[in-house]
Amino acid sequence: MYLRGVSFTYAGGALPALRGVDLVVRRGEMVVVMGASRAGKSTLVKVLNRTIPSFQPGSLQGEIWLLGQRCEQETVADFAGRIGLVAQDFEAQLFSTSVECEVAFALEQFGVSPPEMRQRVHAALRSVGLEGFEERDPATLSGGEKQRLAIAAMLALEPELLVLDEPTTDLDPLGKEEVLAVLAGLRREGRTLVVVEHETIAAEMADRVVFLAEGRVLADMPAQAALRSPEWFRCCAVRPPDLAVLAHGLGWAEPVRSVEQAAARVRERLMPVQKDDRAAGQQQGEASGHDVLLVAEKLSLRYEAHAPPALANVSLTIRTGEFLALLGHNGSGKTTLAKCLNGLLRPSDGEVRWKGVPILSIPLAERAVAVGYVFQNPDHQIFADRVWDEVAFGPRNLGLSEQAVAERVRQALGAVGLLERCDDDPFWLTKGERQRLAVASLLALEPQVLILDEPTTGLDYNEQRQTMELICRLHRQGMTVIMITHTAWLVAEYAERVVLLHRGELLFDGPTHELFARDDLMNAARFRVPDIVRLGQRCGVRVRSVEELVRMVGRRSEDR
Amino acid sequence: MKLSIYVVANTPLHRLHPVVKVVGIFCFFVAAFTAGSPIQSLPLAAVVGALLWLGGALANVWRFRWFLALVFFMTFLVWSLFFHSEAPWFAWGPVRLGYDGVRFALATACRLTTFFAVGLLFLSTTRVEEFADALGMIGVPAKLGFVMTLAFRLVPAFVDAALSVVQAQRCRGFDFDRGNWLERVRHYLPVIVPVFIGALRRADLMAMALEARGFQLPGPRTSYRTYAWGWGDAIALVGSVMLAGTWLLWARFAGGN
Ligand SMILES: Nc1ncnc2c1ncn2[C@@H]1O[C@H](COP(=O)(O)OP(=O)(O)OP(=O)(O)O)[C@@H](O)[C@H]1O
Ligand SMILES: [Mg+2]
Repeated sequence: MYLRGVSFTYAGGALPALRGVDLVVRRGEMVVVMGASRAGKSTLVKVLNRTIPSFQPGSLQGEIWLLGQRCEQETVADFAGRIGLVAQDFEAQLFSTSVECEVAFALEQFGVSPPEMRQRVHAALRSVGLEGFEERDPATLSGGEKQRLAIAAMLALEPELLVLDEPTTDLDPLGKEEVLAVLAGLRREGRTLVVVEHETIAAEMADRVVFLAEGRVLADMPAQAALRSPEWFRCCAVRPPDLAVLAHGLGWAEPVRSVEQAAARVRERLMPVQKDDRAAGQQQGEASGHDVLLVAEKLSLRYEAHAPPALANVSLTIRTGEFLALLGHNGSGKTTLAKCLNGLLRPSDGEVRWKGVPILSIPLAERAVAVGYVFQNPDHQIFADRVWDEVAFGPRNLGLSEQAVAERVRQALGAVGLLERCDDDPFWLTKGERQRLAVASLLALEPQVLILDEPTTGLDYNEQRQTMELICRLHRQGMTVIMITHTAWLVAEYAERVVLLHRGELLFDGPTHELFARDDLMNAARFRVPDIVRLGQRCGVRVRSVEELVRMVGRRSEDR
Repeated sequence: MKLSIYVVANTPLHRLHPVVKVVGIFCFFVAAFTAGSPIQSLPLAAVVGALLWLGGALANVWRFRWFLALVFFMTFLVWSLFFHSEAPWFAWGPVRLGYDGVRFALATACRLTTFFAVGLLFLSTTRVEEFADALGMIGVPAKLGFVMTLAFRLVPAFVDAALSVVQAQRCRGFDFDRGNWLERVRHYLPVIVPVFIGALRRADLMAMALEARGFQLPGPRTSYRTYAWGWGDAIALVGSVMLAGTWLLWARFAGGN
């Protein structure tokens, strides 16, 4: 696969999305493409899978060779079965009525014999962890399960070249590792992969990393070299690996390979560890003693009579001013619980009470100012054709005057940095902007509790930081925050309390550091403790971020 | 919430060969349409009811109870008021309420409701993919078959999109259930626009997903689902053809209306 001087400008777009991109990928290679949002990653992907130019009008220049063939007018169809794709919006790719029919669809078109088809379908479902879901209707899967299905449908086809646009955004951390490992393993069969990812874990498995910025290739280097130099990741808005940043921050010359190795080095420098450092991570303390806002009592919910329950006997108390993270593997019932907490779903058993009153008996307008819920997929909640109207919808329902509504909308849009886009159609925004718009539309209601369902998926690191800063600001102003997430460092740095769901049951409810010390629970949750936290545990200090440890070590050296 | 009508189960009805299902349902439709009076519709409705029970689909009847009731009563109301009765009890402009009007309205209402019940039976026991396979086996080109079944795939997707907009709006304090029933219906209307626009946006991606998975290939195609003919199929086929025949003869000799 070979690109030379490829440029593309979307019809109606002022600036080119790609400017003179050169890229060579050899057979059997895995290349990870990284870049900030709007860097042109998705455009590159579309060029590689021929969505551009066949589905996307615009002007394309340059020389493109795919699978040893010079491309001029070839369309997606000409490469069907040879180039596999998973689009960023994976939900729209699904159209069958059962999981196995979805995976089999492509194989049927190619006339694969039924016994072989059966075997390939099962293999593909197994490699993404969807065995046992064969008969399910794709529309009823959880977010992460849908994404797994989209990947399986592509894997079953066994294409020569796989072009994947952020294929693991909604997966739980272990699932992400497993799926990436499956993909990386395809190289052995001589398949070629181009994967757009925001996380360094993908780079660890790749041969090469390509950094993209403003439509240009900024750097193209072997993965190992890239992993040692956090600056590249930073400038492409990717969160660099903890250990590399630490090595950098502490001025270590040779690279560290493992947490153990780093721990040994840090331990020397941290030597007499004092009590006050041990408690460093606990400054914010527990929120006990505050008013109880929301109580969930023995919630159970079954979507279908014969299916296992999505929630089983979950009890939870939420007090004012808490910052709570809700964790759990894909399909563990997080979204379901969140929807119960604000009354969107009625549990089959048990009750949710808001300040002592059953939430389902509270009028909707009051419920909306009590508990706000930001959907997992922002596209499921955005319906207006103007950013302004989208945000104004909520306050208008509260019966405020037009003036008060305008004031609230301005504030909410200002808080997420979208004020100057207020006349745009929400669908012109990037995924990150839509995500923030979704947050803004609930902020305008000024709810006391805000539930965010994976608010940072598909965002680059800078955007994730911005989103988190926004959420923290709201939290400081007194909002109670419940955040569902699969991102380990977010939990480590921001959450005081975590609640862990596992197959609909509540497994753990307590301080973050306690959970992180329990390997059994972390595995059940299919979660990964961030390297820096593990490092801290090895050294007997409680740290939340690399910066904190660097500061701590720095202080200790000065003392000596 | 469950959106598709299909009931995941393994009943004798589910196991029927898809061609038998399609032909059988066609026969039932014929019977439902030829039934010219409630006397002729009711036994048919009983047969369909029994089959719905056999297919584990009674829950679907319950789910769609309001829809079925609405079809029945609206049809009855409209036809009884506007049928051109010979000797009306009451006449006012185009409205002519009379015995033959009421009779005809009742027959039509029964006929239409049975018709929908038959449709429900089919969708409860047949996957969209099976339907497409059956069309393929009776000679419809695969692409055309897919397009013909597209509606059945898209309707649940539409409903799903609509429900999520409804949820999003409820979440922000919009009460759909406020006011009388007319106002309630009006609250749902604005939901249709974003759903429709969303569907158009999705259609593009779906076309791409289809192409990438070889939808445009000339064939030959295979099917993941394997079907075998069994005794049950023969019985069902003969049974439904006889049923259609019986009703055709009955309607012809007993006379409609
Ligand atoms: N509408 C539905 N009908 C049937 N089952 C459903 C439906 N929605 C969700 N489920 C099932 O309920 C379980 C919990 O789903 P839920 O969406 O709460 O998971 P989640 O924890 O949010 O997962 P993810 O991390 O993938 O978003 C899953 O096994 C899912 O397949
Ligand atoms: Mg979820």
